[in-house]
Amino acid sequence: MLWIAIRMLTGDKQKFYGLLFGIAFSTLLITQQLTIFVNLVERGASGVYNVTEADVWVMDEVSRTTEVNFAMPSTALDKVRGVTGVDWAVPHLRAVASVRTKDGDLEGVEIIGVDDATLIGLPPSMIEGSKSVLFQPDSVIIDDVGTTRMFEGGISPVGERLELNDQRAVIRGVADTIPSFTSQVALYTKYSQALRYVPGSRNRLSFVLVGTSDGVSSEELAARISEKTGLKALPREKLAQNGIDFIMENTGIPLNFGITVILGFIVGVAIVGLTFSLFIRDNIKQFGALKAIGVTNRKIAGMVAAQAFMVGMIGYGLGVLGTVAFIYSFSGDPTFKGFYIPWQVPLISLVAMVLIIVLTGWIALRGVMKTEPAAVFR
Amino acid sequence: MALLPENFSFSRKVLPVIAVIGLIIAAIFIWNGLPDRELSDPDQEPPRASGQLADSARVAGAGLVEPSSELVDIGTALPGIITDLRVQAGDFVEKGQVLFTVDDRAIRSSLNESNAAIAEARASINEAQTARRTAQQQLALYRQVEDAAAVSRSEVIRAEGEASAANSRLQLARSRLNAAEARAGSARTELGRLTVRAPMAGEILAVNIRPGEFVSTQGGGNSAPFIRMGETRPLYIRIDIDEADINRVSMGAPATVSPRGAAGEQVQASFVRAEPLVVPKTSLTNSAAERVDVRVLQVLYQLPETDGLFRVGQQVDAFIPAKGDKTAEDGPAEKTAESGDKGAEQGDGE
Repeated sequence: MLWIAIRMLTGDKQKFYGLLFGIAFSTLLITQQLTIFVNLVERGASGVYNVTEADVWVMDEVSRTTEVNFAMPSTALDKVRGVTGVDWAVPHLRAVASVRTKDGDLEGVEIIGVDDATLIGLPPSMIEGSKSVLFQPDSVIIDDVGTTRMFEGGISPVGERLELNDQRAVIRGVADTIPSFTSQVALYTKYSQALRYVPGSRNRLSFVLVGTSDGVSSEELAARISEKTGLKALPREKLAQNGIDFIMENTGIPLNFGITVILGFIVGVAIVGLTFSLFIRDNIKQFGALKAIGVTNRKIAGMVAAQAFMVGMIGYGLGVLGTVAFIYSFSGDPTFKGFYIPWQVPLISLVAMVLIIVLTGWIALRGVMKTEPAAVFR
Repeated sequence: MALLPENFSFSRKVLPVIAVIGLIIAAIFIWNGLPDRELSDPDQEPPRASGQLADSARVAGAGLVEPSSELVDIGTALPGIITDLRVQAGDFVEKGQVLFTVDDRAIRSSLNESNAAIAEARASINEAQTARRTAQQQLALYRQVEDAAAVSRSEVIRAEGEASAANSRLQLARSRLNAAEARAGSARTELGRLTVRAPMAGEILAVNIRPGEFVSTQGGGNSAPFIRMGETRPLYIRIDIDEADINRVSMGAPATVSPRGAAGEQVQASFVRAEPLVVPKTSLTNSAAERVDVRVLQVLYQLPETDGLFRVGQQVDAFIPAKGDKTAEDGPAEKTAESGDKGAEQGDGE
């Protein structure tokens, strides 16, 4: 019986592909837009995720994210080191500076100063050069996306000389990083060097990165540091969330993407609903005939459900595959660097598809249920 | 289409299979694409409190290694050209050992002059003595003559005058000798001042002069000190403690110290003293325009004998035990907020 339903469904090729297109398109729209949305706002947390060693970040009370920060006096480091449960603590500087390239162009860059001795604060992997190049004088490491912005035409930036705050800086490596929300060029250098590159103010220490001792959770330690030092200490995930929230609050991105996702849903409902209704109406005679030979409403509902399931599964599969193909084909583009599909997103779009199909199937089924066997003669 | 089975249907049979395979591929892709946000351990050992300190109240501070005598910048008493440099960086010298000498030709010639003046004065003493002797003999001769008419009165007066003039000449020559000897003495002193000697036993840490260079008593404006030395056996470290943490430091307890870049190599340093003066923190950023309002207490610790692990001027990280946990938990902010009475009670309790 179900096989008859499937044959019925695929019998009219135009309507069948119309249905598939509707489902696949709206799945693609919802999945792809949600993916880009999640990845875009997570750019707000990239500064945190690029540092893989620190459990807890300590900052001034008014600092909000890795980019929006206010510097502390240099003794804050020693205060944090004095707190029980702190395994280690190192200074971390993040500040914006202007750089002069060899051509004389001006470019805004983010200077990231990592601990002199241990280099804690650098991204975990390098594309060119090794981390130890920072031990050479006047060395900086550039991030890979920044490279594409500052050096067009795929020239290797290694060995290029820059001018920062009247000081010489030589690029000696390229780091593999997730770019920040604004894709600002990031230059990594030693903390002591960064102090020279960033125009001076009284306090310079933006963050203290902390590793927790065994047996202490990062939340517990963060609370303890806040209490003992009067500074703001956040576990890694919390600061990352703050970065995401900052972008959500200060940009129109959630609204924009929200609208697109809703549009995807509406388009799905409209196309699928209309086509499915039309399809059922066209086949009302067949259903009438089936009823005439004694098929119950239950069975018919099962048939419609089977048709809906078939369309939904194929459409959803193609839609998700389309998103994967999209992310995969753009993964080489610096704008999409580090983009991934969170596993929750396909589930969300699956729920949306089920909703669409149940909704339209139920509406279409109402007509069938009311059909009298006599409809076959009309 | 002959290759395909008879009732083959693309939409009924192939599409669902494509969809299922697509879903599986997508699932694998999504699973593999999830970002790695695991925490990793630092590549290099960061400074950390070890042993008992790891779990108890502590105060951390950064500081510099210095000689136990503090750094002594050797100066010169007299300006001039360096003619001889007797030490080089790394030498251990005894107290009084010659470090360098400044050109002494001018002083030596004035010493020669004074010596000549001494000889001259001696000669004139001789001459005056001879003259006095002659005059006295003459006078005595006149005095022996009984007959008053034999010698004219004026002859006698002249002889008497000559005798006293010879006396005065002798006195003059003697004082000239004294003056010349004094000049020679001061020339010898100057000569001694041109030789710069070690004020104490210690190690020569830096030599910024070379023979032929000019040294002046001003220290050469902004230039580096001529020679820096200090007693490096033992070495001390000067740890900066934030003013907010001063009351927490357990004075007298040994500190756990590690040099920058070798945090794994920790040593125990024994307490020497705390400086009585709380000073503005010297930031080690080498920036001329440093303005920092943090004040620090400097505490000195003596490093044990280590084989070249610590060097003068090196930065170190230190962990010092804090006073009992109770004080630590009170926190500096709360303490200041409390009234005088309560503070006194607390003092009694301790």
